[in-house]
Amino acid sequence: MNQIVSIGTSHHVAPIEFREKLAFSEAQLTESLQHLRESYQIHEAIILSTCNRVEVYAVANSVRTADTAAKMLVEFLAHYHRIGVESLKKWTYLHHNLETIQHLFRVTASLDSMVVGESQILGQVKAAFDTSREAGGAGTILNRLFTKAFSVGKRIRSETTIAAGAVSISYAAVELAKKIFNTLEGKTVAIVGAGEMSELTAKHLVANGVSNVIVANRTYERAVKVAEKFNGTPIAYDSDLGFLVDADIVISSTDAPDYLIKRHPLANIMRKRRHRYMFLIDIAVPRDIEPDVSKIDHAFLYNIDDLEAVVASNLKDRQQEATRAEQIVAEEAKRFYDQLQVFQVNPTIKALHQQFREIADTELQACFYKATLSDEQEEAIASMTQAIVKKLLHHPMQNLRYAVNDGDADHGQYIQALQELFALDVNDDNSDM
Amino acid sequence: MINFLFLVTLLIYLAASIFQTLSLAISNRSEAAILRPTIERVAFWGTSIGFAFLTLFIALWWLTQGHFPMTHWTDSTAFFAWAITLIYLIIVRLTHLRTLGSFVMPVAFIAILISYSFATHTAALPEPLQNYWLLAHTSLIFLGYAAFIAAFGFGLMYLIAERKIRKKTDTLLDNLLPSLGVSDELGYRCTILGVILLTMGVIVGSLWTQYIRDVPWRWLDAKVISTLMTWFIYVLQIGLRQFWGWRGRRAAYAAIIGFVAVLCTYVGVDLFLDSMHTYR
Repeated sequence: MNQIVSIGTSHHVAPIEFREKLAFSEAQLTESLQHLRESYQIHEAIILSTCNRVEVYAVANSVRTADTAAKMLVEFLAHYHRIGVESLKKWTYLHHNLETIQHLFRVTASLDSMVVGESQILGQVKAAFDTSREAGGAGTILNRLFTKAFSVGKRIRSETTIAAGAVSISYAAVELAKKIFNTLEGKTVAIVGAGEMSELTAKHLVANGVSNVIVANRTYERAVKVAEKFNGTPIAYDSDLGFLVDADIVISSTDAPDYLIKRHPLANIMRKRRHRYMFLIDIAVPRDIEPDVSKIDHAFLYNIDDLEAVVASNLKDRQQEATRAEQIVAEEAKRFYDQLQVFQVNPTIKALHQQFREIADTELQACFYKATLSDEQEEAIASMTQAIVKKLLHHPMQNLRYAVNDGDADHGQYIQALQELFALDVNDDNSDM
Repeated sequence: MINFLFLVTLLIYLAASIFQTLSLAISNRSEAAILRPTIERVAFWGTSIGFAFLTLFIALWWLTQGHFPMTHWTDSTAFFAWAITLIYLIIVRLTHLRTLGSFVMPVAFIAILISYSFATHTAALPEPLQNYWLLAHTSLIFLGYAAFIAAFGFGLMYLIAERKIRKKTDTLLDNLLPSLGVSDELGYRCTILGVILLTMGVIVGSLWTQYIRDVPWRWLDAKVISTLMTWFIYVLQIGLRQFWGWRGRRAAYAAIIGFVAVLCTYVGVDLFLDSMHTYR
């Protein structure tokens, strides 16, 4: 009976000090997968190792219970990374069968990520899957499981909005700019004062099409230095703000104690630029831009609090969407698990049927050989034998199927018992899957 | 039979308008958000099917009447709705902005509703007016009006989106609305298109007067004056934008004023003033 188990640790349960001990480098992956399969009774394995999580997914088919399989994974990690079993127990989680499936689906859909809905994890799981496949770690069951996990992840991303909305300040600024301008191509961004956040925001804007960057700073040398990064134009800051005439987006982050950009001078500038839209981002504290600026037609002002509110609201939306995504995960995991069960029971059922039929056939031939019977009689006996076989198998098969469909954990034992009692030769590699 | 076809068209337009409005009204935060793609699809296909039915209806009516059905402000509304839908479908074809339907489809529906309610009031058209001049003159003007209705829709979209950006709330919902720049630009293009069509319609109309001998013609007609005023409002709007940068919010308000002017010209004059264009 196949047991699907997983052991793992993530930012939810363990500090970085522990996660780094458990991490697998890319070079270690192939070797450790081989080791896992050769030295333990593990038939299939995939190791996922990212900066936020380390997880081992495995299938063992020669052990009776999932617990035994899980124990092997603990031993493997303890041995491979030389970590005490106690601390492993403290900082890791173990999942069996349905839980494992559900957990993998959650991880792949980025419901378990630090920022729900982030897109990196799907690629990371894919990479782990590919590495394992190349190393011969993933067999039929993990192949099916992971392929399903990718499609569930895609389904969740398309049916819910967990991946929508900017969740960082600089991206929120880009998204807002996209809501104001018909295109960012050919637009100009002016950075007033310089700082990490304004540079990052400008970088994202440039990546989204903004083509000109003006950097204004009180010290010209500093302006030159920042402008170089963007291939932009440095200018010495000048309080008449003339350079704003060309600026479609203004990011201000100086440490000036008073407002630098005030309503009336800016209204004049807006007239000079013939009321083309201007998006002003004030990330300075104390603020650089007078709040009344937002009363000017076509001037849109967002300060750091406004941007943070946008991010917070997007995060809240993602959280809410996550509940819907969890439902999808639960439903898909259950369906996959049931299919897997049916699929694992089939070889045993087939073997049992075959055995009964073979016995009946042999005995029939022997009987026909000994007695002289008319065709009619032979036919009657043959059909009677078939009916007996069918009736004998009816209840066991029916109950076995019920057990599987009810999600009854006992069916594993039933199958084990059937295989042992009837000495069935079941092809356990599931090659006919 | 033809009345039944008209009723079906009316109901399809009603459904399409409701779905168009719904698709915009559903909040992203609500449970119903999952239904939105379906609602959008139904709304758009409803609009397309409604347009096909309306086209069929107008064609049949044309055949039974023997001339282009444009005798009274109540029966020309069917053609008006047709023109609005046509312009909308062309815009969707070019820009994929289906959201515009939430604003223009209700207008088209009301036009059909009026037409349906008064369909029996078809007036007899004087013989000398039954020709292709009528078709060219009226259809150009109505298509021009339809373009102005689209500009009005973009103006409303601009104002709603701008309000959202200024209020700094709800960043996901307005994903449905295009950016301010897009609404503004497309509204402007619709205005230009409308002015071109209206100008052509007026020129055709004034040329036509040269050929009509049996019907008395006077230049100081209420409809003519009102149409020229509407035309002037839109031309002024284009000028202000070109020379003083009147875009965005001002352009949106101008589109709304223009919309009111269109309604006054179209309906108001016929109801309250005497004009030879009404054929009463």
